[in-house]
Amino acid sequence: MVNLTLKFVAFARGSGLRISTSEVLDCLNHLALVDVLDQEQFAMTLRTNFVKTYRDQPAFDRLFRLFFHELRDADTSKHAGTLNGHIEEALAAMQQQMQPGGLPQPIRDFLLDDPLGYLQALQAGRAEQMGPGQALGGNMGGLVNRLAIMLALDNARSAMARYLSENRNSIPWEIREDLNAYFTARLRNARDLLFENQPAVGAGVQTRISQDQRLNQLSGKAFQALTPKEMQELREVIRKLAAKLKDTLNRRNAKRSRGMLDFKKTVRRSAQYYGLPMEVVYKKRIPHKSKLVVLCDVSGSVWSAARFMLNMLYSLQECFTKVRSFIFVSDLTEITAIFERYEADTAMDKVLSEADIDYQAATNYGRMLRLFQDQYLETLNKKTTVIIIGDARSNYQDPEEGILKEIREKSRRLIWLNPETKQFWYSGDSEAATYQPYCHEFRLCQNLDQLHDFIKELVL
Amino acid sequence: MKAMLRPIENNEGTRCCKFEGVADVGAKLQRAGYICSKEIATVVYLAMVTQKPILVEGPAGVGKTELAKAVANSLNRRMIRLQCYEGLDEAKALYEWEYGKQLLYTQIVKDKINEVIKDAATLTEALDRIAGEEDAFFSERFIQPRPLLQALYSEEPVVLLIDEVDKADPEFEAFLLEILSDFQISIPELGTRKAVEIPFVVLTSNNYRDISDALKRRCIHLYIDYPDQDLELKIVQLKYPEISRQLALQVVDAVRHIRKLDIKKKPSISETLDWAHSLVALQVKDLSPETMADTLNMIVKYKADMDLIRRQAGHLLK
Repeated sequence: MVNLTLKFVAFARGSGLRISTSEVLDCLNHLALVDVLDQEQFAMTLRTNFVKTYRDQPAFDRLFRLFFHELRDADTSKHAGTLNGHIEEALAAMQQQMQPGGLPQPIRDFLLDDPLGYLQALQAGRAEQMGPGQALGGNMGGLVNRLAIMLALDNARSAMARYLSENRNSIPWEIREDLNAYFTARLRNARDLLFENQPAVGAGVQTRISQDQRLNQLSGKAFQALTPKEMQELREVIRKLAAKLKDTLNRRNAKRSRGMLDFKKTVRRSAQYYGLPMEVVYKKRIPHKSKLVVLCDVSGSVWSAARFMLNMLYSLQECFTKVRSFIFVSDLTEITAIFERYEADTAMDKVLSEADIDYQAATNYGRMLRLFQDQYLETLNKKTTVIIIGDARSNYQDPEEGILKEIREKSRRLIWLNPETKQFWYSGDSEAATYQPYCHEFRLCQNLDQLHDFIKELVL
Repeated sequence: MKAMLRPIENNEGTRCCKFEGVADVGAKLQRAGYICSKEIATVVYLAMVTQKPILVEGPAGVGKTELAKAVANSLNRRMIRLQCYEGLDEAKALYEWEYGKQLLYTQIVKDKINEVIKDAATLTEALDRIAGEEDAFFSERFIQPRPLLQALYSEEPVVLLIDEVDKADPEFEAFLLEILSDFQISIPELGTRKAVEIPFVVLTSNNYRDISDALKRRCIHLYIDYPDQDLELKIVQLKYPEISRQLALQVVDAVRHIRKLDIKKKPSISETLDWAHSLVALQVKDLSPETMADTLNMIVKYKADMDLIRRQAGHLLK
């Protein structure tokens, strides 16, 4: 029993399951307590000890079936002793026949009832296949690997057939028949293993990842490239991210808000208890919040990124004392009121229909800055963070970078988010190079990942 | 399913406080109102005999918490429950010094303290004397035991349920390790405290995040999935004996079909039971698509899911 269990452990480890020594010891102890002849109990005892997450469960069940049923069934318990010699002889002969390189060791072992090496080879192939190198040809590695094994198996089969026909006279008929059956079954087993669709371990992980992966793909996709359906999904994701950020922030504030001992209050309260400090009072720290001013370019491509940022900022409104938002093309107009009136998603749609702005005009960053300077510059103070989101493409008009400098001096931070691919930043009518030196930060914001990173830095 | 546990009838007249074997576990749990598969019974039995914690995973509502309750019920043990959440700390889970009580006691015994230091020649000597009595102020008297310490201190064996351990912070897991492997706790002022009676520990997880390998290694693992048709039917009939077999079959069948749809929240056993309960209350004899549409909010928690199922209602009830 111990041997069998250890063999299974080696087999399972070979297929990528992680089993620690202490778990094996526990399992052996447990086996003494249950009825090992009851298959359910036996299987459950192994499973409860060796599989510690539901994701590996399907893999375990498969390995269990394979080890205790399929490989056993093919076993020739009825003619164990008599055939063994012949098998080895046959393998030796096959080894010689197969040129070049002979029979690969793992396959040879597999045919000799030791599946470990073969499984490891398969696992290695799969790992390669699933590895992160998903670039072009990245998934070819596994295929090539499998192809090699498949060829070796085919070769082994024909070598066996040749061996049997060549030795037609020297080996008795019954034994030849048995040998043929044995090898055919084994090779079929090997082939089945090879072609099993699911990767050995982490079968469950796969399905789970596909969900996460989908979100990952989504959050890694450029805003401009999203389909309407994906935009819907992304809004959902944003809502979740925002809720998570808020949670983190609240918890952090709760922990941090306990400041020094408030001596005055403690003494005052202690008057109730004959001067005993029964209630100890601590000073509360007020979390520091900043005011945001957001300027969004709504011309074409930029808007798709800007809307998500606005969405996220307004979902996080309580993290700031005030969020004021403006949109511009050539004119500049404030849209804060729209967001105050409607819930973020609705507001987003209203912005384009209700805001008083000429969407057909040519983008003019210089004019926008002048307008901002005229009307709103005095609203900035040292608690204000200014965020400009735009591609800085100003159609070759005066960039007015002097005003940007002024904004920088008047505010706490000035951050520019550019949704344009970095390669194009300094080409054509882009003023990125002009504006960049005046900003505290000038960063790329093309997809949700980057946006999320930015917002996280902003609030935390 | 909650609050539906009936106390076990002690028809033998004896308190059962141990399981005798895998089959016995199944029988006793069933008497406590929990029908389990052989797999669950095996794991519970092993955990019991080898005094190892069980880590239970599975979708919400398949009876993870209920299992702990049933075990407590059938073993006639008290159940101590620790609900985990983000930000759970030692003071809430393990113990807390009762500051107010300490202060109060100090006041009450003020005269005694004065006596102790009355004839001290110097300030240093007085302090030394008080220091000699330090243990009086930091003794177990002033500790407020929280669930984990309660479980260790209990004179009678208990069932300790650590619910939704994945919701707690990773640091919390680390300090569970000492408790789960050695059943002891270190309190800096008092030293190490060992469990009086080893509790039967059940941890549940909803896969909110992955649990550390170290913790997993100390537990034996149990995955409870949605039950198969027979088992679910049995559970429904056990909880609501007045339900007709025909209706129970329809309910179980419909739920099984709904689980196969691509919906956000799949109905689990507790939803099946809620549904069966409401159908019984409405005195429904036969489940028609209309009744199903009317009572759907018992099993489905999202509007999108509801719409999807309404569209398929006729198809689901065959």
